[in-house]
Amino acid sequence: MTLRPLTARSYILTVLLWMFVWAVVSAGALAVGAENIWKWQSWEQVHNVLGLRLYSVLSASAVGAALALAGLALQALLRNPLADPYVLGVSGGASLGVILSSLWLTVIAAPLFGFIGALVTVGIIYAVAQRRGRLEPYTLLLTGVIVNAFYAAAIMLVNSLVDPARRGDIAYWMMGSINTFDPQWKIVIIVGALATAACIAFALFAKGFNLVAVGEDTAGALGVRVGRLRVVTLIIASLVTGASVALVGPIGFVGLICPHLLRLAFGPDHRRLVPATFFFGATFLVLADLATRLLEGIGGQTPPVGVLTAMAGVPFFVYLLRARWRKAAELR
Amino acid sequence: MQHRAGQVVLAVALAALVAAGCASSAPSPAPRAADGPLRILSLTPNITEILFAMGLGDKIVGRSNFCSYPPEALAIPSVGDTLQMNQEKVIALHPTLAFVITRRGDVIRTLESLKIRTVPLNSDRMDELLASIRIIGRETGRPDAAEALVARIQAELAAVREHVRGLGRPKTLFAFPMTIGSAQMTVAGRGTFVDQLLDVAGAENAFPDVANWPQISPQRVIAFGPELVIVNAVGDEAAADRQQAIRRAWANWTSVPAVAHGRIVILTEACLTIPGPRVGLAARRLADVIHPPAAADTSPPAAPPPATPGEAAR
Repeated sequence: MTLRPLTARSYILTVLLWMFVWAVVSAGALAVGAENIWKWQSWEQVHNVLGLRLYSVLSASAVGAALALAGLALQALLRNPLADPYVLGVSGGASLGVILSSLWLTVIAAPLFGFIGALVTVGIIYAVAQRRGRLEPYTLLLTGVIVNAFYAAAIMLVNSLVDPARRGDIAYWMMGSINTFDPQWKIVIIVGALATAACIAFALFAKGFNLVAVGEDTAGALGVRVGRLRVVTLIIASLVTGASVALVGPIGFVGLICPHLLRLAFGPDHRRLVPATFFFGATFLVLADLATRLLEGIGGQTPPVGVLTAMAGVPFFVYLLRARWRKAAELR
Repeated sequence: MQHRAGQVVLAVALAALVAAGCASSAPSPAPRAADGPLRILSLTPNITEILFAMGLGDKIVGRSNFCSYPPEALAIPSVGDTLQMNQEKVIALHPTLAFVITRRGDVIRTLESLKIRTVPLNSDRMDELLASIRIIGRETGRPDAAEALVARIQAELAAVREHVRGLGRPKTLFAFPMTIGSAQMTVAGRGTFVDQLLDVAGAENAFPDVANWPQISPQRVIAFGPELVIVNAVGDEAAADRQQAIRRAWANWTSVPAVAHGRIVILTEACLTIPGPRVGLAARRLADVIHPPAAADTSPPAAPPPATPGEAAR
């Protein structure tokens, strides 16, 4: 694999282009919703509705960027195109942590518990699926399936123990929703800051990711400290996933769809993929959230945004799985 | 074949159990309860309340997990709830008459198959509630007690209606607290029992459509612009910190007139959504907050007072 050297100028131009796309989509999402903001009767109402939509746009951006980056990093590091925080059960672990903290603690503790849940899950998956330091792709996916099953059962147990009036709410929250009556700006700032930090960190690791993609032994021989890269990346991915889940619940498949679409467009170079994923993930979830609001205009009910991403993501997952089989057959 | 044999053995054993359970009652499939001793299974909280109000509390042998009023009801053994009923417990309690509120035919068939006379009731609207009370009176042989209860409820509702006659009808949203994630809020739609209570108490439901208990998004609440918001926080939600969280969340939406004028009222009474003997009390409670006797008394005694009473702010 030959990678052209990336000049600072082309790098900055790429970032600016993506930033522009994100800004345009976000502005669109502010102006267009179930109802046009110009139709609201009073300035107070416009102010409230704009505030609500700004909150949606910013939290969708932060979460989209965070989840897409987590997916990209997990795919690079585990050398598995099907890795995604939701598929592997990392979001499930974070959800359990957040639900438990929501029962007894204040809102602001939720990201911490989400992070602990995510980190524990990553640890479990890694310990179970690895064999002599190597991760077999299908073993990894199966581990994700059973870990998800366990968390689903644990959440059901909590659900059956709480006040029956709250059961529907937990079920709805488990689908992931950006809409809220109770804006948590502090958590939006936390998720946004973590996503930005993750973007910078992964941009610095980009060469390492590229070499690990060729082979861990090769990367090690070329001076990449694979062990350290792995630990730091997994911690960052857990952090951003946990904080995202604390904010909006487990939204699936963003980390699967975004990196792969970008790989189709730009190839496998992580130096470009990391910033592109950051902005594209943000844009993608803002668009998905806008779609839920437009659906509210049609049907009167807002579907959770996780429903849309899952409905788009599952066919995409199947496509990736089939493409992988074809490739495996060709190699044989 | 062995499997089949096992099923037969099981069926015979079950039949024996059922027969044992019904030994005291008449052999016909759905016997009139009045024939033998009355042993009632009440599977919803409002029916339990009605039975107690009619002086039949001591005839109830089984209740649901949700039946917690009057306090004496808690002494009655629970059999789960309508959809998740412990059939073994039901059989052990030997009920002769069951009252259910469900549209699920299988629940009724199951109870009938246990030789329990099962009476499905409705209480989604006020007239259905009154009709249900009369049916309960007929089934239990206490038509006079039923008529007395109906008359009492009608008199109480008429008194509340009279009390608010000629006063304004503020646009009122009856909502439940938002919980984890706060993505959606459940409110009372038009045509529900609570909608009728709001009408009696002198308010107009701010939710404009006929719907059961719709879940709505914040944007729609802003669009409805309710002048009064009543949040029914029951159980865990009634805790002081939860009430504070509810008030804080509502304070964001300053364009909602109810928020601007400090008219967010949290009521912690469970009876507001139970269509039973306490509907008059519920209507009175709603009327008190919809048309407060004095401007200074807008908040319920259980909750901390809102920042500014509405009239003072204007």
